[in-house]
Amino acid sequence: MNIQEYISSGIIESYVLGLASAEEKNEFEQFCRQYPEIREAREAFELLLEKQAMEQAVPPPPDLKQKIWGQINFNAPVGQTAPIGEIPQSPVARMGWLRYAVAACLVLLAGSLYWNLSLQKQNTAIRESLSSVQNDLDAAKNTIAGLEADAKVIQGNNIKMAALKGMPESPQSFATVYWDTTSKDVYLMVNNLPKPASNQQYQLWALLDGQPIDMGLLTITEKPLQLYKMKNARAAQAFAITLEKKGGNPTPEGKMYVMGNL
Amino acid sequence: MNLKTKYSEQELVALLQQQSEPAFNYLYDNYSGALYGIIHQMIMDSETANDVLQEVFINIWRKISLYDAAKGRLYTWMLNIARNAAIDKLRSRGFQESRKNQAMPENVDTISASVGPKIDDVGLKKVLVQLKDEHRTLVDLSYFQGFTHEEIAKMMDIPLGTVKTRIRSALTQLRTLLK
Repeated sequence: MNIQEYISSGIIESYVLGLASAEEKNEFEQFCRQYPEIREAREAFELLLEKQAMEQAVPPPPDLKQKIWGQINFNAPVGQTAPIGEIPQSPVARMGWLRYAVAACLVLLAGSLYWNLSLQKQNTAIRESLSSVQNDLDAAKNTIAGLEADAKVIQGNNIKMAALKGMPESPQSFATVYWDTTSKDVYLMVNNLPKPASNQQYQLWALLDGQPIDMGLLTITEKPLQLYKMKNARAAQAFAITLEKKGGNPTPEGKMYVMGNL
Repeated sequence: MNLKTKYSEQELVALLQQQSEPAFNYLYDNYSGALYGIIHQMIMDSETANDVLQEVFINIWRKISLYDAAKGRLYTWMLNIARNAAIDKLRSRGFQESRKNQAMPENVDTISASVGPKIDDVGLKKVLVQLKDEHRTLVDLSYFQGFTHEEIAKMMDIPLGTVKTRIRSALTQLRTLLK
């Protein structure tokens, strides 16, 4: 390191005047211990500054000294200067008070946090149950609306009904067809049909003069006792349901499960 | 009060660290003027400067055990306490409000104005006016007003590196001018 260069870099003035950064300070103090020249240069600048300040001294108002003396307790034992401007109180007592205050604050904080958390939990639970109740309510409303719509269909003036009864293949089976003679709409209610295999599907037929007419396939995810609109039938004497391969057939090939006349 | 006793700096510090009232008395009598001069250079208002000087001596008394002679002379240590106290006061809310009408360094123009030679005919500031404008402003902002290099760079819109170099260069000139 070039000591002369360092000395004339302005670091001495920065340090002495309190303008150096913490990093610069540490470095400078270390160099002062290491290099007497640097320390001497520092002292020279300090003396210069001090001399100049002494020459430029401005005497403070005379009563100021008394004011200062009034605030200093010169009789305090060495190393125990009482903090000035504060109410003298033993450090232990002050610490004790502070400790309790901090402890109390911590307890309060913990309590409040716990309370907050449990409230939040409760809130979430209530919100969840509320939304599930809301869902149930919506589902119920839908069901009622569906049933009301069905009831209207069944109660129509021009509705003809056919009760499709179980055939020997499945005597327990039962379904109902409602046929609107004006609009020719066909509604099917599945009262009871065994669950078909996954590769099979029920198919509704209208029978006119012994000829089967395709009325559409049933998707039995459907709930019982609900009306499903099938294809329109311009005329029919009877209806029947057969079990066909998945996707249905143009003419019935499978076994007949239910049948009934209009 | 035992006046006219002459202490070496080492003796003085040792006595002060033992909390000797005569030593503190001696310290006040010998240094209060120098420190008051510095404080007055930073704070024009006499009443406020008085308050700061009070604070400074009380702080010297309280902190004397922290003084480390290896790091510099006693006066240097006290000067830094005085400067920090004055800067704290300058930056305190109450003081800012009490001098609202005066220009605060919000742009370069007002900064230059605030270091004009008219009020700066004492102490370090007397030396300061001999510096080039760009240097003077920087020393004034950093030393007398306590702004950090970063703050000054932002305020004057010049790079941080430039602020550092210029302040260093100004300070080296200061040494020559003080002689």
